[in-house]
Amino acid sequence: MKNSQNGIWIGGKDLNHDPEFIQEAQKEMHDPSLLNTLGDESIATEVESSRRDFLKYLGFGLGAATVAAGCEIPVKRAIPYVVKPDEIVPGVATYYASTYVKGGEYCPVLVKTREGRPIKIEGNALSPITSGGTSARAQASVLDLYDVNRIQSPQIANEDGFDTASWDDINKAVSSSMNSNARVRIVSNTILSPSFKKLIGEFTAKYPNTKLVQYDPVSASALLDANQKTFGQRVVPDYRFDKADYIVSFNADFLGTWISPIEYNRDYISKRKITSAKGASMSRHVQVESHMSMTGSNADNRILVKPSEQSSAVAFLYNEVTGGNVGTAGLTDKAKKALRRVATQLHANRGHSIILCGNNNLGEQLLVNAINNHLGNYGNTINFGHASMQRQGSDADMASLVAEMNAGRVDVLIVNDANPVYDYFNGAAFAAGMAKVKNKVGLCYRHSETSALCNLIAPIHHGLESWGDAEAKRGQISIIQPTIHPLFDTKQAEEVILGWSGSSLMSAEQPYFEYLKSSWSASSTGFASADSYVDGILHDGVLNLASSESAVSFGGFNPTEAASSLIKPNLGEGVEISFQEPVSIGNGVHANNPWLQEMPDPVTRTTWGNYLAVPVEFDGVKKFIGYMGLKDGSLVQLTIGDKTVTVPVVQQFGQMPGTVSLSLGYGVQNGGFASKGIGENVNDCLTVVNDSPQYFAVVNNIKNIGKKEKEFSCVQYHNTMGVTAENKAGETINADEETLAPGYGNIFSGFQGALVERSIIRRSNLDHLEESVDHLVHEREHFEHLNQQTLYPFDKYTEEKYAEGHHWGMHVDLTSCTGCSACTVACMAENNVPVVGKKKVSIHQEMSWLRIDRYYFGDVENPNTVYQPLMCQHCDNAPCENVCPVNATNHSSEGLNQMTYNRCIGTRYCANNCPYKVRRFNWSDYTTADIFPANQVKVNGEKIPYGADNLTRMVLNPDVTVRSRGVIEKCSFCVQRIQEGKLSAKTEGRRLVDSDVRTACQTACPTGAITFGDINNKKAEVSKKFSSPLSYEVLEEVNVRSSVRYSMKVTNKDENFDA
Amino acid sequence: MIYKSLIFKSLLSVILLSLSLSAFAEISLDSGKNLFKTKCATCHNKGMKAASTGPALGGVVERWSDYPESDLYAWIRNSAALISTGHPRANEIFNEYDKSAMTAFPELTDDDVASLLAYIDGVYTGVYPPRKAGDVGADSGATAKQGLGAWVYWLLLGVLGLFAFILSRVIGNLNYLAAEKEGRPYQKKTIFETLTNKSVVSFILFGLVVLGAYTAASNAINLGRQQGYAPDQPIKFSHATHAGEHKIDCQYCHDGARRSKHAVIPATNTCINCHSAIKYGSTYGNAELTKIYASTGYLPKGTGTYIEGYEDMSLEEKKEIYTGWMLENAIENDEKFEKVTEDLLEKIDQEWGEVVVSLTNDQKSTLGGPIEWTRVHNLPDHVYFNHAQHVTVGGLECQDCHGAVEEMDVVAQYAPLSMGWCINCHRETKVQFTNNDYYNKSYEKYHAEIASGARDGVTVEDIGGLECQKCHY
Repeated sequence: MKNSQNGIWIGGKDLNHDPEFIQEAQKEMHDPSLLNTLGDESIATEVESSRRDFLKYLGFGLGAATVAAGCEIPVKRAIPYVVKPDEIVPGVATYYASTYVKGGEYCPVLVKTREGRPIKIEGNALSPITSGGTSARAQASVLDLYDVNRIQSPQIANEDGFDTASWDDINKAVSSSMNSNARVRIVSNTILSPSFKKLIGEFTAKYPNTKLVQYDPVSASALLDANQKTFGQRVVPDYRFDKADYIVSFNADFLGTWISPIEYNRDYISKRKITSAKGASMSRHVQVESHMSMTGSNADNRILVKPSEQSSAVAFLYNEVTGGNVGTAGLTDKAKKALRRVATQLHANRGHSIILCGNNNLGEQLLVNAINNHLGNYGNTINFGHASMQRQGSDADMASLVAEMNAGRVDVLIVNDANPVYDYFNGAAFAAGMAKVKNKVGLCYRHSETSALCNLIAPIHHGLESWGDAEAKRGQISIIQPTIHPLFDTKQAEEVILGWSGSSLMSAEQPYFEYLKSSWSASSTGFASADSYVDGILHDGVLNLASSESAVSFGGFNPTEAASSLIKPNLGEGVEISFQEPVSIGNGVHANNPWLQEMPDPVTRTTWGNYLAVPVEFDGVKKFIGYMGLKDGSLVQLTIGDKTVTVPVVQQFGQMPGTVSLSLGYGVQNGGFASKGIGENVNDCLTVVNDSPQYFAVVNNIKNIGKKEKEFSCVQYHNTMGVTAENKAGETINADEETLAPGYGNIFSGFQGALVERSIIRRSNLDHLEESVDHLVHEREHFEHLNQQTLYPFDKYTEEKYAEGHHWGMHVDLTSCTGCSACTVACMAENNVPVVGKKKVSIHQEMSWLRIDRYYFGDVENPNTVYQPLMCQHCDNAPCENVCPVNATNHSSEGLNQMTYNRCIGTRYCANNCPYKVRRFNWSDYTTADIFPANQVKVNGEKIPYGADNLTRMVLNPDVTVRSRGVIEKCSFCVQRIQEGKLSAKTEGRRLVDSDVRTACQTACPTGAITFGDINNKKAEVSKKFSSPLSYEVLEEVNVRSSVRYSMKVTNKDENFDA
Repeated sequence: MIYKSLIFKSLLSVILLSLSLSAFAEISLDSGKNLFKTKCATCHNKGMKAASTGPALGGVVERWSDYPESDLYAWIRNSAALISTGHPRANEIFNEYDKSAMTAFPELTDDDVASLLAYIDGVYTGVYPPRKAGDVGADSGATAKQGLGAWVYWLLLGVLGLFAFILSRVIGNLNYLAAEKEGRPYQKKTIFETLTNKSVVSFILFGLVVLGAYTAASNAINLGRQQGYAPDQPIKFSHATHAGEHKIDCQYCHDGARRSKHAVIPATNTCINCHSAIKYGSTYGNAELTKIYASTGYLPKGTGTYIEGYEDMSLEEKKEIYTGWMLENAIENDEKFEKVTEDLLEKIDQEWGEVVVSLTNDQKSTLGGPIEWTRVHNLPDHVYFNHAQHVTVGGLECQDCHGAVEEMDVVAQYAPLSMGWCINCHRETKVQFTNNDYYNKSYEKYHAEIASGARDGVTVEDIGGLECQKCHY
């Protein structure tokens, strides 16, 4: 069923030649009814516009313009500082080293501030853990700072809500309820801060009946418990993917969400980068799962195993590798065959392989430890010296807390920035328990399901307003320093606890900073003074202490004990559902962040909501149909246990037949405007074994209710390019040129006529890489030959035009791109790209300048995936430029395709003519750049339109124009950064070097997939990559001369896995 | 015959005009500017209006008009030589300026001196800058050139009018002849009939529409532009006093200009740097200076202190502290006031009233805090302008865009800040190309062309300075 030359497809509609979809592609631009794009839908459908209306609007427009023009120019104020801080120069960005920490999520960052307000997060390259990489969540965290749903002052509960109070009220209320006998419980997500832990220790000394209970929104308790049992250390070991040649992951989404994705992405890709076709090598990655996770989509081979049979799969591999004999029920023959092959290949890679398991099951984790031990991986690819602290939650502790609370044995419950009522699998029991606790204090950032049940609310700082430290891995410390004066009457959680523990430091101006300094002084040996230590660590942001590498010994392992806690496979007919944390919003932790809500899921490409991924089946004749005939956007009633939810469906290639999957983290009801009513909460549907949540369940019933979701916000089929179809004569043609092909096909065949063989993705497998590269080089020569058949030879033209000065170019390595989407969020933050909301996404009006296209290839039942970040290609022979009637888009001498907003009149001809579909039209006034409030849109029922809110607007980058309604916008290659970089080179009187100009997507990328620079400079990194034989241009044959090149996606797939 | 002579005359005038323009091609205001900067600016005021070490140069040609032009040229090249000849004008100036002679510049050619004089006159009369394309190549008579241009237009209009008149007469005569030949009576149209016929009326209507559209468009272009905008400021800060009289460098206060996109309005503590010592204003006494003290809570009494707990004080308490000090200060520094009088008390009370009015507004009720100046130079949001680029890299003088701020008591917007104005400058300004490694390494072709003499310099336009995304992104 491969229907294009490269065997690439984007989804079922593509494979099936869905007529509606083809028609859509032919139109080149999504064209919903005009009324649908205006205002409230219910009103809009009743309105019929007539000639009179037109005249009315015309009259109004003219009048409004006159009024606007007649207004006097407003008097603007210029307000200087009273005393200007030395480090601030207005108009110049100041960077501070800090750390993004949210529970166990961790990323050392540099915070870009302008005039004292943080506007952008960059990675801290000094960190040995992330090396400057970031994640989408770290990038988006700056938006949380300006969240309108923040709690702005302390609150005390009354009968039907909360009253605003003062900190004194809160402190008095707390101290009155505490005495030395008080049974205090602090419930928190993983705490990475050694100082905060020390402080909690001091608090415990004062109130001896205190206990800290840590849990994680998605539990990794079994992994920790297994390591406790085997090695006596309750930690996540230090996985070294950069040393592993063979990776087997049982359902661990380590590139997307599991433990430390930024670090793992970097290390994983460092073993997979291809620089030359000759003698290339890369690691092999096998993923065992039922749904297509982001990590699975990057794997070379996937083994499809039902969620309930994961235990059996682990046991099977254990048996095969070690010769053990643990029971393995279930498992398809195909899976068994594949696992057997994995076992032999693992033996060949002893000491440089990694076996991972993402399941929260003690038995599986113990077996995985045994396999790793048998293969000699400990001490080589898996170490404990720099063991990770990024998950510390304990299911057992949490279960006993719930029991204690329900038994009325807790006096004071302190909730530290966590939402267990929502994200704990037994949230209802937690809520019931809370009702029996007298004093419930919420240290909350914004209201949540849990805070609603608290009687005292102590609002806390954002990380960017706080002091702190974090030890994500042993001996690798990073610090958190405030980058803005607190916006509201909030305090940081640590300071609040410090106060309650009666510290003498509270009289200081910044009590917790003093506390940190005193706690740091212990490690300041080797520095001239404690102050110089503090200065140094505040400057660098990170500190690496000598590795406390302790040789661990593999403790006793009892296979029978491990086998006893394995999951018993569900051998019945029932459909199984797996649940997973989405890459974007986590388990609801980031649900109120509009940037993350609008970030498409890397695999399903859905936004704003959780979609039930159903398998796609071949009907045996010609078509691929969704499970039960379900189509994209069909609504189903899903019954699990006694809970029924109605969710929309998305067809998912690579989803195992007989299974479905659904994301956690949605359906947050009390967490702010952006999460309200978005998706369904399924945290209470998990299977529970020994108080440990297992992230799957058996579905009781899936019922197609025969309706479609009204606002189906999946960007899967938006902005598609190179879609093929069949014309009436049965020939394969390019869908968007159906009208062109019959008329011109005869004349132009073989000449610029590569209408159907569109070169979008180039890919190869390691074993025939040289052959593929030769083929690519040959084909590119052919394209070049075709492109030369013109009256206007391009080379001559470029020689003159772009030889002088700079010529900017970008290179994207498709092998290095894992689809993590950090770049898309970084782009939104850097370029003031608006959020449009679910409805607008559903009518193809998303505004993102950088999208990541996801294509499948290979086996339709179990395909491989390639991600292609696609931004404006800055074609030197750009088709958009010569159709603009007002010359609003034109080319610069530096090879930039310039978009001039103030010239644009919104004809959209350019977007129509763009072969890459990267131009975006402002259908509304998303960031209130013009004067008519009626043009503003609400993202999700917020009070003041999202972009109009002055608090939210503080995140805007002052160097980038806020676009108004009615203009086209697109990727500018971060021209503001180019200009800034050029200026710094000019002022310093030196040649411009690579590090002067780095685009937002480039700096955000954890794997270094994106390179940007001056291709006129032969020493530039990008020039070297451009000349690599693996590089190609997308749609090179249409002669647009793009400035972005991609390098071939290379996999290391074992083609004989199933044989 | 008359026609012929007319055509001949108009042709002649066109030729003469082009000749008159080309005759002065070597003399350029730009080279005059460069010469002035390198040779004269150390001693002569660059506004040409105020005396510095040397005399103000504005109007120098008129002052020397009693003598042959060659005397002035000789004076500029070597003043000492001219003085020794006993030249009366030369000795007069020599004596006036404490008998210090000007440095000799024997290397100056006649064209150089002419350029220099043209530049001096251009700046003095305010013609230069703003630069207009026509200015390049004009001689000292920039104003005369303008007259010449207008004169040509009127002449052409006259010639056209004459043509029209003659043509109408010819047509009339031909019609008359035709009518006579056919033997029908010819009735001459009256002027009224001629002017009210269909084609004339529709032509006039068309003309009015075109004119109206043109006027509307050109006025619409000016919407949002504020050349000459000189709003009242909360403090009557005089650049003429600070930058002109006391010669404080612009960038001492506007320290962002060299390193940021914003020139930056100085923080109040920058004012206090000097005004902790200078406590009584030369023009306004206490009235204006007290505003900066009251906005920061600084009491310049004795060695000066910041008042403890200033933020929490009531307006009355603040008034008491400051009016008390103002009283002492006035008596100490002003000869007019020797002791406390009713008048003085009233004056101080009134001055304090102004302080309060200036430092507070609808949004700001306390005296303390930043001073809210009224922004004079406003660019639209979609324009990116960077001071550092122009000041540090381009080496422009502040006055090039802001005019002679050192002579302004109230700052006024000097340049139109229109896109055309920016673009023109980018077209004409040469980049400081050779001494910067950035350009040396990236623009090898231009350097080769300069070396071979194929090009005499690189303008901002040549390196992409007219492209949209240099300023709009």
